[in-house]
Amino acid sequence: MAYKMLDGNSAAVEAMKLAKVQVISAYPITPQSSISEKLADLVADGTIKAEYIRVESEHSALSVATTACLVGVRAATATASNGLALMHEVVGMTSGNRVPIVMPVVNRGIAAPWTLWCEHGDAMSERDMGWLQFYCQNVQEVLDMTLLAYKICEDYRVQLPSMVCLDGFFLSHSMQKIDVPTQASMDQFIGPYIPKNAFLDTSDPMFICDLTSPDEYTEMRYQQKKAMDNVFEVFEEYAKAYEVITGRKIQIMESYKTEDADTVLVALGSMCGTAKHVVNKMRAEGRKVGVIKIVTFRPFPFEAIREALKPFKVIGVFDRSAGLGGQGGPLWSEITAAMNGLNADIRHFVGGLGGRDVTETTIEKIFNELLDIQSGKSLNHTQWIDTKENAMTLREVTVKC
Amino acid sequence: MTKIKFYGLGGQGVVTAAKIFSEAVSLYEGKYAITVPAYGHERRGAPVNTSIIVDEEPVLLNSFVYDPDIVMVMDQNVIHKGVDIAEGIHEESILILNTEKKEMLSIYEKLGFKEIYYVDGTQIAMEKIGRGIPNSSMLGAIAGVGIVSINSIEKAIKEWFKGKAGDKNAEAARTTNKKLQKN
Repeated sequence: MAYKMLDGNSAAVEAMKLAKVQVISAYPITPQSSISEKLADLVADGTIKAEYIRVESEHSALSVATTACLVGVRAATATASNGLALMHEVVGMTSGNRVPIVMPVVNRGIAAPWTLWCEHGDAMSERDMGWLQFYCQNVQEVLDMTLLAYKICEDYRVQLPSMVCLDGFFLSHSMQKIDVPTQASMDQFIGPYIPKNAFLDTSDPMFICDLTSPDEYTEMRYQQKKAMDNVFEVFEEYAKAYEVITGRKIQIMESYKTEDADTVLVALGSMCGTAKHVVNKMRAEGRKVGVIKIVTFRPFPFEAIREALKPFKVIGVFDRSAGLGGQGGPLWSEITAAMNGLNADIRHFVGGLGGRDVTETTIEKIFNELLDIQSGKSLNHTQWIDTKENAMTLREVTVKC
Repeated sequence: MTKIKFYGLGGQGVVTAAKIFSEAVSLYEGKYAITVPAYGHERRGAPVNTSIIVDEEPVLLNSFVYDPDIVMVMDQNVIHKGVDIAEGIHEESILILNTEKKEMLSIYEKLGFKEIYYVDGTQIAMEKIGRGIPNSSMLGAIAGVGIVSINSIEKAIKEWFKGKAGDKNAEAARTTNKKLQKN
């Protein structure tokens, strides 16, 4: 084991280095993370042999990475919050042209209100854009999932881009002890980039991304849908190979101490670590609770989820994004759809927005509410679980007519 | 599991100290540490804090520390800047303070810590590094309360700063470690 102390941003960079990315484009100003400056350092000192292109916006950053990949090299960029929002138009170009970029997204809230801090609202805004989305629990997972993502995305059965989502600050700036695989082992696991569909060959030029008539558009989308359907099989295959090399099991989703649980909480990202910690604490006190951690949010593993949640009558779902105007947040909506026809009471919790810490107390409060519902002691839960009582008077403006 | 909180002012290297401390316990003592820094609008002189969790096993908890076992204050003036460094402490919590002033100690004595350790880390940093940045010197102080050895701290400091700067910073830590006093 070659242990290093790395924060989430450095772990993402370590993975890109191990994958030997050949073109890096980044917009080096807020809301960029230290990912772009660490990559710049490694290109400058020759550790990464890549062309580093500084661009004037995230829109251009993803345009450069996407087109570089179309030329036939492994290309990289990274983003966060409003940067991802600015990329939006190109996000569709990347997936629609079947360009298998792996992009770390440091999850931060979208303005306004202006925020620098953690939530999943940025990535959730892009959830239906044809990218795979993986949410990481800890820094080790940032490294492992990024490495695995190259294999999954570049496989001919998938050929789609992915966002490896890491919680702003709670992962991006949290230093943790992680095991980094050797370059030789990753050379063997990932290998060089091999273009499989569209690429530049001057002796045999091709024209891509032309205007697609209604006669073909649906079928092109259908191809993307089929590629999404293939992800789970491809994921399992490469996760097994990765486990042989590193000894670490990377899962599409994980059931934690759910076998004999009275109720479970479903969540994404770094809060799953805190939730597991709370599960251990509550179990030591005789309260049987469990956690279901979703790593792969896109494609959504609805069959596996349905199977895992089948035994439970009361289920909590924690969204770290507001899901404004929806019946619930994006994770709750997916879970509810996956459980369609099963007799489960699925409670929706929203919290951890704009950097608010998801504490042990918050998670324990959720579990206690779920246990009370399960045992018939209570009918209600607190949907906005960590909202202050003064919410409606905060920054109140008196209108003078 | 030991929960730790470092307090100081922007520019004093509070976050860097937490990183070096985490490397010392994780890479040289076989334990697991995670740092969870509380970033705000970066500003020199503003109060800052960072949380660190140390355990024998990989740490699952990923949140700030609210009930610290150890509090280290790198600048004695943080309590005059609206920061409650005793927030969430329990009857076993200990304090490590960067000061040798009796009048400061008497203020901190009222906060309810079980034990208070103190040393003038800023003065030692001035002497050994030539700058009053107390992060390395105060790492010597935290090594004085048994959570990590001074050898591991010195190794981590030398690895972080490299070369001559590493030697000077390690010496500052060693000196602080020797001069640390229990109130």
